[in-house]
Amino acid sequence: MRVINGIDATNMSRLHPDQRAPLWWGILGLITIESAVVLAFCVSYLYLAAHAEVWPPSGTAPPLLWPSINLGLLLLSCMTMYSAGQGINHGNKRRLAIGVTTSVLLASLVLVLRTKELMAYDFSWQDHAYGSIVWTISGFHYVHVTSMVLGSTAIAILAWRGYFTRERQIGVVVDTNYWYFVCIAWVPFYLLLYWGPRLYGN
Amino acid sequence: MTHQSSRVQERHDSPQEIEQLTRTWHSPRGFPGWFTHVNQRMIGRRFIITGFIFFLLAGVLGLLIRTQLAGPEQHFLGPELYNQFFTMHGTVMMFFFAIPVMEGFAIYVVPLMVGTRDMAFPRLNAFGYYIYLIGGIVLFGSLLVGMAPDAGWFNYVPLAGKEYSPGYGVDIWTTMITFIEVSALTAAVELIVTILRLRAPGMSLNRMPPFVWAALVMSFMIVFAMPAVIVSSTLLILDRLVDTQFFLVESGGQPLLWQHLFWFFGHPEVYIILVPALGMISTIIITFTGRPIFGYTALVLSVVSIGFVSFGLWVHHMFTTGLPQLGMSFFTAASVTIAIPSGVQIFCWIASLWGAKIRFATPMLWVLGFFAIFVIGGLTGVMIASIPFDTQVHDTFFLVAHFHYVLIGGAVFPLMGALYYWWPKFTGRLMSEAGGKWSFWLAFIGFNITFFPMHQLGLEGMPRRVYTYTAEMGWGDLNSLSTLGSFVLAAGFMVTLINAVWSLYRGQPAGENPWNAPTLEWATASPPPAYNYRHIPIVESRWPLWDWQCRGERSVVTGLSHQQREIVITSVLDADPVGVQILPSPTIWPFIAAVAASSGFIGLIFHPVFFVMGFFLVFFALVGWFWPRRPWKEEA
Repeated sequence: MRVINGIDATNMSRLHPDQRAPLWWGILGLITIESAVVLAFCVSYLYLAAHAEVWPPSGTAPPLLWPSINLGLLLLSCMTMYSAGQGINHGNKRRLAIGVTTSVLLASLVLVLRTKELMAYDFSWQDHAYGSIVWTISGFHYVHVTSMVLGSTAIAILAWRGYFTRERQIGVVVDTNYWYFVCIAWVPFYLLLYWGPRLYGN
Repeated sequence: MTHQSSRVQERHDSPQEIEQLTRTWHSPRGFPGWFTHVNQRMIGRRFIITGFIFFLLAGVLGLLIRTQLAGPEQHFLGPELYNQFFTMHGTVMMFFFAIPVMEGFAIYVVPLMVGTRDMAFPRLNAFGYYIYLIGGIVLFGSLLVGMAPDAGWFNYVPLAGKEYSPGYGVDIWTTMITFIEVSALTAAVELIVTILRLRAPGMSLNRMPPFVWAALVMSFMIVFAMPAVIVSSTLLILDRLVDTQFFLVESGGQPLLWQHLFWFFGHPEVYIILVPALGMISTIIITFTGRPIFGYTALVLSVVSIGFVSFGLWVHHMFTTGLPQLGMSFFTAASVTIAIPSGVQIFCWIASLWGAKIRFATPMLWVLGFFAIFVIGGLTGVMIASIPFDTQVHDTFFLVAHFHYVLIGGAVFPLMGALYYWWPKFTGRLMSEAGGKWSFWLAFIGFNITFFPMHQLGLEGMPRRVYTYTAEMGWGDLNSLSTLGSFVLAAGFMVTLINAVWSLYRGQPAGENPWNAPTLEWATASPPPAYNYRHIPIVESRWPLWDWQCRGERSVVTGLSHQQREIVITSVLDADPVGVQILPSPTIWPFIAAVAASSGFIGLIFHPVFFVMGFFLVFFALVGWFWPRRPWKEEA
């Protein structure tokens, strides 16, 4: 059989930061899977709440102030992360490094505030199903914030060393997308844990 | 970028280039080298072999169960051991055989079928395999030390709770199931991205072979179904490990939450096993009728809709739990609905077979066996979709008969057909046809003798999961018959095992395309070289090999480097080439990451602190995995 040259790939681009890169699709897959996990946790919460006589058992919903501040901080960190991504899109390595570092610091602050908030809870996960699901969802999200802080610290170190360029930035793209996911996942949890009992209970 | 170059240029390869390409895609040999392999065919082969080893082990457990039930009031297995055996039989068959072996076939065959050199994330592939291997060894090892789970393969609470299942058995089940779902999920993402982005130029979605469609649908189902079982088993781990109260009624927990989450996964799960088998059947029918399949579009749409509808069926496993009437009616309707796409498939296959010159080679026999068995399983399925009937036979052997008919008939028979079909591609040699026919007939007859009597036993009221029965019940004869059949069935599978080993040494050499099949995997040597294709092919139709035979020429992609592992990326819908991806070389990091993750999970059986340890170990392993090595690659 004759074999004919059909397409020449010699001059095709080898490094893609955008939707062409399989890794971009890979992180989308991870986010989809994790979103399904988030959804399963939300459904579990609602299922337990729907079958409970009093929800929460103490009758009072957890305080709103600190979780709302955390929500604001997480959304702010999304913006600094977005700015970092835009920076490297324009080849601005300094803006990338500063943006990622700022986001890491903001998220670390969230971790400190969350720790204080959880420590102040007057119920444990062993007390009742409400305590179990609240602590589990909180722990789930806490672990995710921790892992995104650790991962982005690695990205920040590489950014300060000048590793990333406009073409070679798939690591940044992956990290920022995961960052958005973790922050935005807090929105349904926040509404469910803090607003849910207020709207549902009364 | 045009498909047709203006000037037709014939391609001549130099031996130096081929040698260099071989070196670039080479996998290191030897003991430490084994842990660094990333090539898709290496990993796929490991999944398939490991999966069949678990099939053998779980099959032996099934035989032991049958031996115990052969006559009334036997004491071959005690009740404790019997509980462990049926739990392990189900768990291993579902989680450690069926899913991984289907994924293994997809990992091996799909990249060849879409005409590329490897998968999108070769290291992730390797990582997934080690997770599966370690998880499987730990779970099966628990049986050898007498700590195996014994609460059934769907592990219902409160039986699986701390109070009724003390000891480590259920902990091993929950942690290892969560753990190996990670492996299923990595393979699913891997397959989705490979299928959507790495198809050969010109293989638009409507030219994809049916098996690739099936693998795509399977992968999407895994992505949306598995998280539910991960969440449910995580909640159970927490209940057992740190005393949360999710499933304990006295503190506001809900045992039914387990059933909802588990079956939200568990029902799609059986279709996750079935869907790739449907793809295998279409593939085999096309090749052995020697003509295009009837109703390609209808077939693809039915596979896709089976994927969707399967997510609306989970409650039919819970008809006896006292749910609201309206909800139950909805799920009855959905359960019956799935018969529509399944029916469309069957009719398309019948139309394809009608009037065709069918070659009755072994793969085709297994497919015809599938028809007979699966139709019976489907009929009993329609019966138990009706609530009054289901209430009557719930937890009896009727159910056991039904799901063995759909699972063995629907998945294992096509799988055996696919094994015979692709074996020459895997090994370069054909299995013996005589051996294949013996194997098929023994398995087919043995299967029916084993499982058909169970329908009757179930209608007579014999409950499942009880280790023995008294002589007065009058179930002895049918049970002895069933046990006899199970040994015939096992003999059938043994013949294939012997046939496979025999063929490695004595089998007839296969050549590139022994069956005259139309899909791309048959366009390269058997077994394929490390780089799969000397040139990435360009596709102009659904049946590229048949077209090339007519035209006497084919076109290919040129200009990929021989120095590094390069593959072509194409667009999602039309598969137009858009770029080149450089893939990683063999590396030990996936193995290190898998060991780090498993130390966390195995530790979790005993103490929560191992979660923290595993978390940080995995983090450091991933940093090591992804940290850029100097010299940093520049835009080529």
